Amino acid sequence: MDTDVNGRRCPVPESGTAAEHLREGLGLTGAKVACGSGVCGACTVLVDGSPTASCLLPADRLAGRTVTTVEGLGGDHPVQRAFAGHDAMQCGFCTPGFVVAAAAFTDRWRAEHGDVPAGRAEIAEALSGHLCRCGAYEGIFSAVAAACAGEYDGEEQPAPPRPDAPDKAAGRARFTTDLGGTDTWEGVIVRSTEPHARVLKVAAGRARTEPGAGGPDEPVMVPLAVPDGVVRYVGQPVAAVAAPTAEAAHRAAGQVQVDYDPLPAVIGSEEARRPGAPQLYPTAEERDGAPAYGEAPTPPAPWNGNVRGPGVVSRRGATAVDRLRRAHRTEDPLLVAQEYTTAAQVHSALEPHAALARWEQDGSLSLEVSTQTVRKVVAKAAAHWGLEPAQVHVRAGHVGGGFGAKQGLTTDVLAAGELARVAGTAVRVRLSRSEELIDGGHRPGTRTKVALLADRRGRLRAMAVDSEGDGGVSVGSNVAALGALMYGKTPRRLRDFDVVTNRPPGAPMRAPGGPPLAWALEQAVDTMAERLREDPLTLRRRWDGNPKRRALYRTVADLPLWRDRPRGARTGRFRRGVGLAASTWMYMLAPQARVELRVVDGAVVARSATQDIGTGIRGVVGSTVADRLGAPAAWVHVEIGDSDAVHGTGAFGSRSTPSMGPAAAQAADRLRAALRERVPELPASGPVDEHTLKEALTAAEGVSVVGERRTDRWGQLTPSMAEDLAVGRGLSGAVHVMEVEVDTLLGRVRPTRCWAGLGVGRVYSERMARNQVEGAVVQGVGYALFEERRHDPVTGTVLSDDLEDYRLPGPGDVPETRVHFHQEGFEHVPGSGVGLGEVCAVGVAAAVGNAVHDATGWRPHALPVRPDRLLEGLR
Amino acid sequence: MILRPVDVDEALAHLGTGALARAGHTGAAPPEPPAGADVVDLTGVDGLHGVHPGPEGSVRVGAATTVAELAADPGLARSHPALVRTAGALATPEVRASATVGGNLLQRNRCSYLRNPAFSCLQDGGHGCPARGGDHARGVVMDSGGCVEPHPSSLAVALLAQEAQVELACAEGRRRVEAHELFAPDGGAGDHVLAPSELVVAVHLPGPFAGERVGHLRAASRSHAEWPLVEAVARLDVAGGTVERARIAVGAVAREPLRLPQVEKALVGSRTEQGIGEGVERAVAQVQQGCTPLPLTGYKVALLGAAVRGVIEEALADPGR
Repeated sequence: MDTDVNGRRCPVPESGTAAEHLREGLGLTGAKVACGSGVCGACTVLVDGSPTASCLLPADRLAGRTVTTVEGLGGDHPVQRAFAGHDAMQCGFCTPGFVVAAAAFTDRWRAEHGDVPAGRAEIAEALSGHLCRCGAYEGIFSAVAAACAGEYDGEEQPAPPRPDAPDKAAGRARFTTDLGGTDTWEGVIVRSTEPHARVLKVAAGRARTEPGAGGPDEPVMVPLAVPDGVVRYVGQPVAAVAAPTAEAAHRAAGQVQVDYDPLPAVIGSEEARRPGAPQLYPTAEERDGAPAYGEAPTPPAPWNGNVRGPGVVSRRGATAVDRLRRAHRTEDPLLVAQEYTTAAQVHSALEPHAALARWEQDGSLSLEVSTQTVRKVVAKAAAHWGLEPAQVHVRAGHVGGGFGAKQGLTTDVLAAGELARVAGTAVRVRLSRSEELIDGGHRPGTRTKVALLADRRGRLRAMAVDSEGDGGVSVGSNVAALGALMYGKTPRRLRDFDVVTNRPPGAPMRAPGGPPLAWALEQAVDTMAERLREDPLTLRRRWDGNPKRRALYRTVADLPLWRDRPRGARTGRFRRGVGLAASTWMYMLAPQARVELRVVDGAVVARSATQDIGTGIRGVVGSTVADRLGAPAAWVHVEIGDSDAVHGTGAFGSRSTPSMGPAAAQAADRLRAALRERVPELPASGPVDEHTLKEALTAAEGVSVVGERRTDRWGQLTPSMAEDLAVGRGLSGAVHVMEVEVDTLLGRVRPTRCWAGLGVGRVYSERMARNQVEGAVVQGVGYALFEERRHDPVTGTVLSDDLEDYRLPGPGDVPETRVHFHQEGFEHVPGSGVGLGEVCAVGVAAAVGNAVHDATGWRPHALPVRPDRLLEGLR
Repeated sequence: MILRPVDVDEALAHLGTGALARAGHTGAAPPEPPAGADVVDLTGVDGLHGVHPGPEGSVRVGAATTVAELAADPGLARSHPALVRTAGALATPEVRASATVGGNLLQRNRCSYLRNPAFSCLQDGGHGCPARGGDHARGVVMDSGGCVEPHPSSLAVALLAQEAQVELACAEGRRRVEAHELFAPDGGAGDHVLAPSELVVAVHLPGPFAGERVGHLRAASRSHAEWPLVEAVARLDVAGGTVERARIAVGAVAREPLRLPQVEKALVGSRTEQGIGEGVERAVAQVQQGCTPLPLTGYKVALLGAAVRGVIEEALADPGR
């Protein structure tokens, strides 16, 4: 029997899932497979009008049914336009699934209720089978409500803030996981089943290991470098195989025989600390080879068994320690000394790590990669395969999220490149959700001791932070060190340790080290306020000299959410509380950033080797160029995610906007000057009438200019370091105010409202900046309440390897969020604004903690604040 | 091969040859059917569908009825609100649209060790339970000595409270069992006691109480789409403000869904306006004292008590029809 797909009749296969059939068989790649277990909703299609998870649906079930995929909605469904108009997405990988379900909901809603907006609760319920890792839920709520109200029925809509939003909402945007042709083989990683073992032998089974030999469809295998021949966690890549189909590749992977000589393993960090515990890195050489999860180079530190550290950052450290010791001896009530822990948070971008490699006839290497660092992939791939950088071509057209885990030569890239070399054809490697949750990177768990001492007048006299990172086989914790950036110049001693165990390595994750420090420090500050019988805001206003946060504190003082918060002890089952947290981040930039503008067919094409992982840098470049040229936004086409273009920055360190924005502005200024040479009546600044602009662009056909990232006034704090990174002057600031409702019966915390104030200077694109901040609130709520990687205590095997067991916040779990920008303080920076992707992520969980305490009188010390912990605390 | 029987007898004949039954296919992983195994698709079988009212308010629900159909049935919402509320709160809209009543009752448990090919256990033919000495934080609080993963079915909890019967068919004929007889405390190597050649055909719901009052609670960390830590369903028969009968069932605490007869008994005679009385408190405390928590599930003792009290309070406050 046939099926009807988007109005076309086609036969139905007897095996496989509907998702596989639609994507591979029919080329309809709009529906994404992100979890493969019906949890995330990215694969949703309409079957006889009903939203259905196509990853679970057997393909043969499509027989006799009518299927509408996101492509079949046509791109002009009011919901699709509303998603673009409200910027209801970031990376866009989950968007097709959301759009399909929201379209069905909106059509039903309007049929039942007429053109009135649906409420937040109804929308959350209808979309509860969908997850957005970027956390674009605020935009999704407003888009769906607006579509329900009929606000997107008309043909004419203003240009969306995110130029690629219509493509993402229509399912047209192609991600790396969507690519591949008939000659593309499927690659699979073979992973260690041992927590700690010497690899004696990797036997390829029936796969061949050398190029050239063998039959055309014979699978290939390559060993993946295991440093020093020792695997140190279950799930560590050992080899990779490829075959013409996924099924054959998995079969071949099953035939790879790895012989291990097991070594004693150590799984828990307590156990790892014990004298005589098995050592992961017994020799200095092995210690030097330990992977590091810091974004900047990890400074050297001493080792003692499995413990590395301390890495010390101090300001009059001895004074701080003396004061704290004395206070401890004298039982000073104004000494707050507490311990806080956090759990491992997994990046889990909805597009998994994915790479497609092809070796060209001329010996060059073409890579399609889901990466946040196009240029770093070029540099590392060239070094790895002994090529000139010009021989490596990396493309990342649309990238389905990164959050820090998609940098450089990750396993997927390495495996695809090696396999393609041996196979002699293109090979793609796409991690499964399970692999992603096991070994796709995580923010390591932490244990942090914080001590604060105040005097009778409530001034901060000393601070100490000792923090221990639990990053599995990796090192590089920097939690305590970030304490140097908060609360003035009071004497302080800050010490970071790592404890290594036989568990998977960490990776830098959005504001590395920031959220765990804020979780500890900001709750300790609130505790001090309580000891001083003082308002937490008042205390911070006295301790905190940062001018951006001081401006934000003034706004908070008048905020109804804060000013009118409940006071006194609360009773009853549901208790409401409000908490706040302050945070900071460094201002970083990429001094080498470039944007090239070229006049092509009377329009302006902006090119750069940067990439958009959902931050919206495509839109920032486009709108900056259009503004400075005085041109309509539609006349500027932005082409990024291609390493052959001029240098662009990697998407990490909150530096895309303050690097690419000024480069785009300078390029536009240079192009404008070039246009004026040809058409002198074109004004030097401000909007240009379309006729004049058209004339000038026609005259300038083929002209190309490059804009650079001008140096800041007074220079930067550091020179341009490795990987095009410099630290600029001034710290960004944020304040989060969070309201929660605590169900004291069942132990559930429900964040209800959040106010996020950001001091990042001038904001380039208000809506997209707001989207980032709203998404950080969602991720912070996940960190605070739900997210926790869990492992088997005996083998270290990660157990939370699907999205049921690793719980991301859904649409119904997030607070209504308002964002405020204080836009002063970075006038020394070209463009007057800095990045915000990280500073907005630092304080969210801490604000949740303080709100829970305000609601219940019980202070959480461990993340996530699970029902069991809350009930235990309230007992 | 995929077999598409049109009636129950044909389906049973296929199952008798060792073919594997497939319904909503929402619990697909694991296990995938072994390569070459025949699959019997039950969705086209005549007589397995729909919500059919019978005499005295009773209702027959076909086993292949989807959870979404159950949750959206207006007649059932009036007559059996406890079941409808439970159905509407489980999983996600997409899963409810595919998942069937029979599949929900017979689904595999959610233990992450069982789902991980690196481990073997009592449930897949191995020995011992790796979760017992490992991570069992979502495990049972009433330990039966074997597997420690709670039964996953939410509908089963509601059906216990509804005193439903389950109609089974096999080659020898049809029979009805009480819903709780589908499950067993040790569970053996599975999550139900049905033979592979047997089929759930329908669920039979007795008519509602004259003064039906209900409550339903799922304790979980998120608002939707999460397996509950404890689930509780309450049905009360209230006449003139007095509880005359009570049915309380709980899930996610043991290898099988459970009725709490001692609490039900203690509730008889309660006045709705007075809330939970001392006798009921004592009965709940007894249930808690009977718990045998694992090292990581101690919290479920408190949570079970809270959920039972909470669901009773909700039912006492329910204005009814």
